[in-house]
Amino acid sequence: MIALGKPDRQTDVLVVGAGISGLQTALDLADQGYQVTVVERQPSIGGRMIALSKVFPTLDCASCITTPRMSAAAHHSGIDLLTYTEVDSILPEGAGHRVLVTHKPTYVDRDKCIGCRLCEYACDAEYPDPFEQGIAPIRAIAVPFTTAIPQKAILNAEYCMTCGSCARVCPTDAIDYDQQPVRESIQAGAVVIASGYALNALSSKPQYNAQRSGNIISPLTMERLLAPHAPHGRVLRPSDGKIPGSIAFVQCAGSRDETVGVTYCSRVCCMYAIKQAMLLSGALPIADITIYYMDIRAFGKGYEQFYQNAKAMGINFVRGKVARIEPVDSDDLLVHVEVTEEAAGAMQKRRHDLVVLAQGMIPQWNPSVASPVRLGGDGFVATPDATSPASTHVPGIFVAGTAAGPKDIVDSIAEAGAAAMEVSRYLYQHAARAGGSGTVPAPRRVALKLAATGSGT
Amino acid sequence: MAHSVSSKLIRRIRAYGAFDVSACFNCGNCTAVCPLAQDRGGFPRRLIRMGQVGMKKALLADEDLWMCFGCGECTKTCPRQADPAQYLGAARRYVTSCYDFTGISRLMLGSAWGQLLGFLVLSALFTLLLLHGGGVIDPKAIHEPALFKFLPGPWIHAIGVALFAIIALSMLTGVASMLWRTCGRHLREASGSLSLAALPAALAASIGDALAHQTHRRCDADQPEVPWFRRPWLIHAAIVWGFLGMLAATSLDFLFKPIGSNVPPWYPMRMLGTISGLVCLYGLTMAMVRRLRAVETPYRSSGFADWFFLLLLTATVCTGLATEVVVYLPTGSVLGPLIFLAHVVLAMDLLVLLPLSKFAHAVYRPLAMCIHRWATAPVAQPAARPAAV
Repeated sequence: MIALGKPDRQTDVLVVGAGISGLQTALDLADQGYQVTVVERQPSIGGRMIALSKVFPTLDCASCITTPRMSAAAHHSGIDLLTYTEVDSILPEGAGHRVLVTHKPTYVDRDKCIGCRLCEYACDAEYPDPFEQGIAPIRAIAVPFTTAIPQKAILNAEYCMTCGSCARVCPTDAIDYDQQPVRESIQAGAVVIASGYALNALSSKPQYNAQRSGNIISPLTMERLLAPHAPHGRVLRPSDGKIPGSIAFVQCAGSRDETVGVTYCSRVCCMYAIKQAMLLSGALPIADITIYYMDIRAFGKGYEQFYQNAKAMGINFVRGKVARIEPVDSDDLLVHVEVTEEAAGAMQKRRHDLVVLAQGMIPQWNPSVASPVRLGGDGFVATPDATSPASTHVPGIFVAGTAAGPKDIVDSIAEAGAAAMEVSRYLYQHAARAGGSGTVPAPRRVALKLAATGSGT
Repeated sequence: MAHSVSSKLIRRIRAYGAFDVSACFNCGNCTAVCPLAQDRGGFPRRLIRMGQVGMKKALLADEDLWMCFGCGECTKTCPRQADPAQYLGAARRYVTSCYDFTGISRLMLGSAWGQLLGFLVLSALFTLLLLHGGGVIDPKAIHEPALFKFLPGPWIHAIGVALFAIIALSMLTGVASMLWRTCGRHLREASGSLSLAALPAALAASIGDALAHQTHRRCDADQPEVPWFRRPWLIHAAIVWGFLGMLAATSLDFLFKPIGSNVPPWYPMRMLGTISGLVCLYGLTMAMVRRLRAVETPYRSSGFADWFFLLLLTATVCTGLATEVVVYLPTGSVLGPLIFLAHVVLAMDLLVLLPLSKFAHAVYRPLAMCIHRWATAPVAQPAARPAAV
């Protein structure tokens, strides 16, 4: 075994990713008394979910569910958040793991920054805001978004002109143009991979011509258009700012298709398309909304009812795989589809103002290059044991959420809880074998104690 | 309408080409991507469905099967990579064998060995037949008389006429079978009506289409990067035009030119034959090159039937051109008459195999186009579909 040296930091559990799965795992473990370190590559925690508008099938506000968990994690004494930090490698060390991470430079001293945003107001350089999927600008130095945690500014060196305006206005002298990446070695009892998903490119299927039209958009862009605090405050199509009168959702645009290399079903697209269609019919009451689908996979609790409601609301459901999207005059789009449910089948070309492509869910991170974890045939982390769904091939490394495969928020949270439980059991068993030490809670007769304290009376 | 189901259908079709159409989940991508699908409800997905669920009668009665020119767009974009283009090719071979009541076609199209055996038996038969009427090589004779001393002209013509009769009869049974089934379907269908008034126009349009390749041209409208001389439709057209030119030259020779007489190379019929041969050879070479390269989607998997037809036609054209060279050699040669014999035998093989091999598409496809035009002629058209939104 290679010598790993003295660790910079020790922790019971290291969670990779601070999306909804990672945060839930961290909270579930920290609430049991474990010390948890969460590593997040983005400048803020919250993951994909914080950028969503509402969630299906309840149409609850997504940030209203995410932000309490984000701040709970941020304020939890048992949780350390390492944002804007990448995991370089996860190496086995005894029964635990040594995790090497790199803190990327934010060019702002995070201890000094008070999140006052004066730098942001002073900055003259702008770039397409990644949080808003590029449909709105953000300053080169800025707090990532309104509800970001931590509320610290970050400077994007790619767009910064080093004019010095931010350094001049900063009341705490936090701007540090010379900041360098810092590496850290963390000793962890167990690791949970909750690195989440990415979407394959809009241009994955060349026949959809996404690179030729600004009005072929990602569902995540549609989420931002529909968000309560949307950049434009209303739904406008990107190419010309027109209010779209006819919107198409093209399902399976990046999944269940061997020609794009994703043969599995991404599982959430049917439901979010229905949700977005419902929200759109609220935002644009006279718009025609069409969902082109191969089959509607409304698998969860209340999902089928949700689908039936959407149909009753007048959203058009057309069965057929869209074969081609053709940009035409006035920035509109012609969708080529066979309407397979018509008696004879009919090849049709339907005109729309805006098209949302249901891109395929692919893994955000490939942990197999950084750790001994093995992947399944679909590229997601393999979970070989059906009876412990969060276990990977490596003892002590667990997986939660969409890092293990496409799933919705409900399932991700449930799996995060399962991962926390498996981690807890793993740590307890190993600590007990080692004679019990550190921060691992000692076994207790909890029920007896609860009875003795007379709780519930 | 009730359908009888043949559970063995898909297995039978698969015998005519390797493909995995069972992977198809009927999403309709092939229909929506097909450049020819606009006015044909559900084509080609409907035909794949027929194969999957065993609707043999419906498949045999659907002339749309012949509407595919194999651009391969469906196969390229199929989400399940079920290879619809290959399926359609195999289904056409299957249907050809079903239209042929003798069952010889099944042997010819279904197996490489069957084709080879049929070819060898026929070639041997024709060689013996031809040599029976002549077969004496005169080393001193030169030019055309040398050839016809070896194989007497009247004897070739006698065999040729007999063959034409057999082929016509055999092709007619296939054509009748196709007509009976497809027209029957159109008459049964609520929207279908075949008015005799519309037939001549449909016939003329289809013959024109077969010659000018208008429909075929629509297939590669989406590939502007391919230079004109490599366009699939032009390659096919070169083969068709060349073949028809050679057929015309041979027939005109038969009618107007004294057998065995010497003519200069610029003699109209001789010139027509030469030019047609070269045009055909260009098409054949391009067709074989793209099958050999196997880069473009539709030519990635070539069956024996494809190669057999191409090679047979190429051999016929090449021996024909070689015979022409021999005719103008100043000295006599033993090789000349033998090349001529090979040419005549191959040409006879080609004709006899017309109704039984891939060559059958030369009859069935224009016929199918005619039936389709006839059935969808304006009088028979149902109420216009509401315009696309």
